[in-house]
Amino acid sequence: MGFILTTLIFLVIGIIACFCARICCNKGPSANLFHLTLVITATVCCWMMWAIVYLAQMNPLIVPILSEGE
Amino acid sequence: MGEGGSLPTMDLMRSEPMQLARIIIPMESAHRTISYLGDLGLFQFKDLNSGKSPFQRTFATQIKRCGEMARKLRFFKVQMMKAGLLTLRSAYGSEISLDELEVKLGELEAELIEMNTNTEKLQRAYNELLEYKLVLQKAGDFFHHAQSSATAQQRESEEHHLVEGSMDSPLLLEQEMTTDISKQVKLGYVSGLVPRDKSMAFERILFRTTRGNVFLKQNVVEEHVVDPVQGEKVEKNVFVVFYSGERAKNKVLKICDAFGANRYPFTDDIGKRYQMITEVSGKLSELKTTIDVGTLHWSSAVQAIANQFEQWNNLVKKEKSIYHTLNALSFDVTKKCLVAEGWCPVFATTQIQKALQRATVDSNSQVGAIFEVLHTKESPPTYFRTNKFTSAFQEIVDAYGVAKYQEANPGLFTIVTFPFLFAVMFGDWGHGICLFLATLFLILREKKYSSQKLGDIMEMAFGGRYVIIMMSIFSIYTGFIYNEFFSVPFELFGRSAYDCRDPSCRDATTIGMIKVRETYPFGVDPIWHGTRSELPFLNSLKMKMSILLGVAQMNLGIVLSYFNAKFFQNDINIWYQFIPQMIFLNSLFGYLSLLIIVKWCTGSQADLYHVMIYMFLSPTDDLGENQLFWGQKYLQILLLLLALVAVPWMLIPKPILLKKQHEERHRGQAYAPLQSLDENIDSDSEYKSHDGHEEFEFSEVLVHQLIHTIEFVLGSVSNTASYLRLWALSLAHSELSSVFYEKVLLLAWGFDNVVILVIGIIVFIFATVGVLLVMETLSAFLHALRLHWVEFQNKFYEGDGYKFSPFSFALVSEEEED
Repeated sequence: MGFILTTLIFLVIGIIACFCARICCNKGPSANLFHLTLVITATVCCWMMWAIVYLAQMNPLIVPILSEGE
Repeated sequence: MGEGGSLPTMDLMRSEPMQLARIIIPMESAHRTISYLGDLGLFQFKDLNSGKSPFQRTFATQIKRCGEMARKLRFFKVQMMKAGLLTLRSAYGSEISLDELEVKLGELEAELIEMNTNTEKLQRAYNELLEYKLVLQKAGDFFHHAQSSATAQQRESEEHHLVEGSMDSPLLLEQEMTTDISKQVKLGYVSGLVPRDKSMAFERILFRTTRGNVFLKQNVVEEHVVDPVQGEKVEKNVFVVFYSGERAKNKVLKICDAFGANRYPFTDDIGKRYQMITEVSGKLSELKTTIDVGTLHWSSAVQAIANQFEQWNNLVKKEKSIYHTLNALSFDVTKKCLVAEGWCPVFATTQIQKALQRATVDSNSQVGAIFEVLHTKESPPTYFRTNKFTSAFQEIVDAYGVAKYQEANPGLFTIVTFPFLFAVMFGDWGHGICLFLATLFLILREKKYSSQKLGDIMEMAFGGRYVIIMMSIFSIYTGFIYNEFFSVPFELFGRSAYDCRDPSCRDATTIGMIKVRETYPFGVDPIWHGTRSELPFLNSLKMKMSILLGVAQMNLGIVLSYFNAKFFQNDINIWYQFIPQMIFLNSLFGYLSLLIIVKWCTGSQADLYHVMIYMFLSPTDDLGENQLFWGQKYLQILLLLLALVAVPWMLIPKPILLKKQHEERHRGQAYAPLQSLDENIDSDSEYKSHDGHEEFEFSEVLVHQLIHTIEFVLGSVSNTASYLRLWALSLAHSELSSVFYEKVLLLAWGFDNVVILVIGIIVFIFATVGVLLVMETLSAFLHALRLHWVEFQNKFYEGDGYKFSPFSFALVSEEEED
């Protein structure tokens, strides 16, 4: 549940970033496509990293064993 | 080469379309045309006179003139540095033509040289007079005493000789003795200044050569004296040498010259001496005023030059580059015009035509320049229109190899993936913030630094400021994900998911905690830092993450090769290269990625190493407890077969089809009608067209394809493993950061002593900046670069093009700023 929710949050942030890029620097169709590509790539990279770390912790095989004196 | 018109164009994805153009310029407007094209900076001239040596070219004399003027300007620069003036950004004064400038430079040079020699002469005379004055003053002090000692010594030595002689021949010498004693002792003397460090040697050599028959008296001069010959301040001694006889005199004079001892006349008479002193003092003050006036004149002349230097320098550089370009054009004698050929971007056509028109109008020429586009099979240069943000990333890609004309540009994705992969290896939001602030400072001072001349390292850092700021922003993000702030985790996004098994927390240090709540929502759970099982967990996480990111980037590379094939309408590449490559990579490493994700989602204890290895060794065996999902065995057998089929699919069909294509293309050509041969001879053969009766060696193509296939197959394993450096560097970074924090800062804190704390903080800051912020940044930068250049780009990039280098005055002035 938390996974899907956060994925949706990433999607929404990505869409908002696309709109911001379109509004701020609208310099013709080829430049717009270029900015769109960059924003999508950045969003996908960030989401992938978060998703990997989240999935790895969902069903852990190793548990934290505190060290002495903590 | 056709264009894939179905996909919309994107900035930076492919090179701008370029065209080969020919410009025919009438002679009168040639110079002006080239000048305006240089201002525009969008035309790359081809050298049409490449066969000629530099001396055979039309405008060689003009270039020599410019060279002479540049030499004079360099001479002026030396003079300006001597006067301690800096070249100012001169306000644009009046327009001056090259001929006028040449004359003016010649005049100024002659004037300056004359002033310099005069000043030198005057200065030398001045120093000599100073020395003379010193001799007059100092030698007078000890002269008489020295003279009397010298005469006494001379008389003694004579008596000695006489005494000795009288023993041998008493009769003759008695007569001589009487006459000799009555004679007065006549001594000559030489006075002057000798450098102090040579004075002992001077004295010794005088003594030896004259066999002790001279008397030398020296006195120290306290202040340093400026030596007239060398012009430097030296310590000197005043000396007076008394000698008798012609031979002794010659010897003394020679020795004085050898030791660089300057001789000055000296008179016995006190009154005359005082008169001489006043005379010399008068001359000295006269000379001083003359020298001062001369220096003033010189510095005002140099100042006047300094005001105009920048402008003249730019003019000469500009003219030189224009003549170099004019030399590259071919001269058509019959039509009295110059023909230029070169590459320009298609979008620049109107701008170029406007510049040509302006040049025609400005030079009052009757005939306008003609601009025509030529068709050729030559490969055009590659041109990307970059701004200050994207140019740094494009340079990173170009350093490996400039893109072939119109192939997909990896620079597009590098803008995001390069800082991202750097951040995966650097992940610490504290360090990221430091890096961000440092680069922000550079960016805010952009205007100031871009006009200054910076040192080598600063220049590289300044040039890459946008790259570094992207890197720092992504590092802040990955720092939050790894949950490290100078290696300290924080509970920023919710509560940690782990808790003790029972309220007393007895087992926390033996068996460990359990997961009681929802997974920590963003990033690595903060409980992990400092635990004993931290490394096994993080290593497993980061290694799997590296594999997943690596497979994703390699797939992106192969997809880009699909877009390239589609753009160049190369169907063979799509069916017999792209598809088998995708199948091979994904059936092995895509499947591994899938297994990783399934294992994480289900929490199974399957051993993925075992699964992958036995997929190859014994695919039909039962998986047992390594089974992750239903039907896994059959899926594995299917994927193995697909991978096995993909290899010959990559290797064999492409050479065979290429051979068929080649045969088809040339089937018709053997029966071409004879007329076409005549046409070829008549047509304008000015541009070299490599019309392809290309050789087709089947064995060569097959070997090429074999190498390509082996490279891909073996490379898929090695490249995937290469991505594990993402894990390695991130581990190194976090361990170093943790060591500095715990062993320096916390240790210093533990002592409860302010001095030790301060020392600890300083050591921590230096270690963090030196090792983590500088060394780790460079290291992660290098490895991210390697991942892009090798693992990403070898899936699709050819990179054997050449860069568009237009004739532009802006670039010329940048070049020569050395």
